Amino acid sequence: MTQPLVVLDQVEKRFDDFVAVRDANLTINEGEFIAIMGPSGCGKTTTLRMLAGLDAPTSGEIRIAGEVMNDVPADKRDTPMVWQSLALFPFLNARENVEFGLKMRGVAADERRTRAMNWLDRMEIAEFAERNVETLSGGQRQRVALARALVTEPKLLLLDEPLSALDAHLVIRMQSVLTKLQRELGITFVYVTHSQSEAFAMADRVVIMSKGDIAQVGTPREVYRAPKTRFVAEFVGRNNILPGTVTSASKGVVTVETALGAFTVKGDAPKGAQASIVVAGDMMQVGAGENSLTATVISEEFVGSMVTAFLEAEDGTELKVQVQERALADLNLETGNTVTLGWTASDGHLLMEET
Amino acid sequence: MTIFLRAYLVLIFGFVFLPIIVSMLFSFNSDRFPTLPMSGFTLEWYQTIFADPDFWRSAKNSLIVAGSTCIIATFLGFCTAYTDYRYSFRGKSLFLAIILLPPTIPLIIIALAMLAWFSRVGMSGQIVSIIAAHTVLTAPFAMAIIRLRLSQIDESLEAAAWNLGASEWRAMQEVILPFCKPAILSSLFLTAAVSFDEFTVAWFVSGLNKTLPVHVLEIVQGTIDPQVNAIGTLVFGISITLVVISQLLIFFRLQRAAS
Amino acid sequence: MRRLNLYALTFRLPIIIWQALFFIGPLLFVIAMSFFVVKNFRMVETFEFDSWSKMISRDFVWSAYRYTLVMAGSAAALASLLAFPAAWFLAFRCSAQARQLAILLLIIPFFTSYLVRTFSWYTILAESGVLNGGFALLGLGPFTMLNTPFGTLVGYLTFVLPLVLILQTVTMANIDDRLIQAARNLGCSSARTIRSVILPAGKTGFIIAALFAFILSFGDFVAPFYLGGSNPPTMPILIIDTTKAGQQWPRAAVVAVMMMLTLFTIAFAAIMFAYRKRASR
Repeated sequence: MTQPLVVLDQVEKRFDDFVAVRDANLTINEGEFIAIMGPSGCGKTTTLRMLAGLDAPTSGEIRIAGEVMNDVPADKRDTPMVWQSLALFPFLNARENVEFGLKMRGVAADERRTRAMNWLDRMEIAEFAERNVETLSGGQRQRVALARALVTEPKLLLLDEPLSALDAHLVIRMQSVLTKLQRELGITFVYVTHSQSEAFAMADRVVIMSKGDIAQVGTPREVYRAPKTRFVAEFVGRNNILPGTVTSASKGVVTVETALGAFTVKGDAPKGAQASIVVAGDMMQVGAGENSLTATVISEEFVGSMVTAFLEAEDGTELKVQVQERALADLNLETGNTVTLGWTASDGHLLMEET
Repeated sequence: MTIFLRAYLVLIFGFVFLPIIVSMLFSFNSDRFPTLPMSGFTLEWYQTIFADPDFWRSAKNSLIVAGSTCIIATFLGFCTAYTDYRYSFRGKSLFLAIILLPPTIPLIIIALAMLAWFSRVGMSGQIVSIIAAHTVLTAPFAMAIIRLRLSQIDESLEAAAWNLGASEWRAMQEVILPFCKPAILSSLFLTAAVSFDEFTVAWFVSGLNKTLPVHVLEIVQGTIDPQVNAIGTLVFGISITLVVISQLLIFFRLQRAAS
Repeated sequence: MRRLNLYALTFRLPIIIWQALFFIGPLLFVIAMSFFVVKNFRMVETFEFDSWSKMISRDFVWSAYRYTLVMAGSAAALASLLAFPAAWFLAFRCSAQARQLAILLLIIPFFTSYLVRTFSWYTILAESGVLNGGFALLGLGPFTMLNTPFGTLVGYLTFVLPLVLILQTVTMANIDDRLIQAARNLGCSSARTIRSVILPAGKTGFIIAALFAFILSFGDFVAPFYLGGSNPPTMPILIIDTTKAGQQWPRAAVVAVMMMLTLFTIAFAAIMFAYRKRASR
């Protein structure tokens, strides 16, 4: 098995009393597109900065290509970053910006120019090469920032919420640009974001962080369908969480007694354990099923073709159901209506409470 | 009411500009003593100062002092501004206070202090003494100008340079300095202008190596001499020209960058 | 990157060394010098209170001290009062561009020689000068304006008025517009608005402006020397007399220390007052 490209080994980062990253363990393989996501303050940007060498770990090791990087300063690493603010040099034009990394490496002027122009061409902004970057549009500046980071042909590219300042339609376009690039070049991308849709659209694996801890690592599907902690279940997707106590477990089916009734879910757990049943919004059907409960619709949220209906159960628990917009009327999911929701044992996911 | 206030504003501006305009006007007046009505137009006073070797000597000294001061003060101001921008450390408030304190202490006291100190260490009456004193006085302005510029920089810019392979020194050369160029230029001109006009400390410290303002001071202590008007107008003209040039330079640089 | 390396030190050390050598050193030396004595026309480094007692016991020192305080205080008060209507007009009745232009114009005096401007005033205020010439045309005067406290004040104002005007204008222009509008809404006249909103809101700025005016006037020797006739002398003039004429540097140092203590106390009190927040709610 080939050596992973990046290894975080029990990495911790403290700023005086504040622990930004706690006991982080992660391996990233060559050619992977990894997204690190979480709410603000979860430590994702700090982790990225440690990979770049802008902050040093307080304890633990960071290894890139097998080499311990803790004492290697930022300028000696080959980990170019695409910044949230883009950080383009305002006193240089687009071409000079892209050439910067090559200039620092001592590449001759002619070669620099050729390589930079190649990349600007590839990014479809060659015509703006001599223009000062301040005069370019948001999308064009994005591409310059990307070209600048990639021109040195690094093994590892770091991206810090690069799409957060773009208009929505540009975001979609840039996402496909990024994905295409990554596949073509085979470069390892480490992408930090707070947006789940970005992460899920592009990443091979996602790392969910919360308050300095890595909560879960997995493919988007794994994280979505099988959240390991309460936090992940709440942060990712539209999940329904029903907490309760395990009353019985046999033949791969567990019964959990919740405030809204006893429900079954596939899995295994000891009797008496605290556990939750997680049912994804799109797994929850309208109409009675193996497990059922009633709830009243309180609002609907349209996101294009999918609609999320928010409901309230008898005890006030918030529930969500995701359906296709055109099916809305058929299913009687209008505000104020009381409906029955149902799902099967295999539709749900068993989530053990952390001790 | 508005007309009243407008007139008042004009009056105040009149008070501020009256001595300046009078000086300029009477530098061309053929009367020795300025009074109304003006007698006639003459360039006699300008001819007098240009023919006076003392004038040229002290003007030369002023230029040397101002030129050296602006470079050293801007350098020190830049170092302080950059340190304030980039680092936080224990004693930083004290550090900043030490640099920024001089303008709050009356010049006459600083003049006495410098005179006594330089005499003690054997540096009195020399050009370098005036340069050292003027640098202390003008560095705070340089620091303020450059710090203001640095507060406008994208906070990731320097890190982006490191990230792309630039060492700290290289990043300073390729990113920080180019970014601060307009402020550095402004600072050079401003500190030079302040130094050129400064006379209290120069008077105490310079001894035989007079600067131009000290030369003026000595004339003024004697009799009413219209030469002073000529010198004043000349210096004012040069200062304003320098400022206008520096502002135009910055303006054109911005134009060029945008196109 | 928080390493204290050669790079960081290169930017941190030069100023510290420079200031220590050419600012702190000299100032500390002045304080020390106030304890020196002059024997046989040479200054002897020692620790005695001789110079202090000689100066503190002299009446002229205290009258000069009082006079300087009164004059500088008057200059600060006058400058603040005179500038206020103009600053108010610029801040509230003029466009931002007009304000910019006005401030730009007010910076011009800083590029002229204060000495030359003082000399100009000398000729303007003289018995046979421009002003008296004008008064004569109206059948008035001639008035004695030089070698009087009036002359000194004119000089001080020339020095500090532009600065005070700039500071007051900027202070008032930065007062939250909504406060003014609220007062207007509640039926306040302009005068009432000034009293209840503008003065309290701009308190810090006004006090700082007055403080600067005070410090600059307190330490200036040109105005009282050339326009005030040095009679009575102010503290800065005492320093010049004892230094240039008398060669009594320790005594000059005593005056300097007295000035520094006074200024420090007043500045401290002013800043405390300026930044004190109302305790009541």
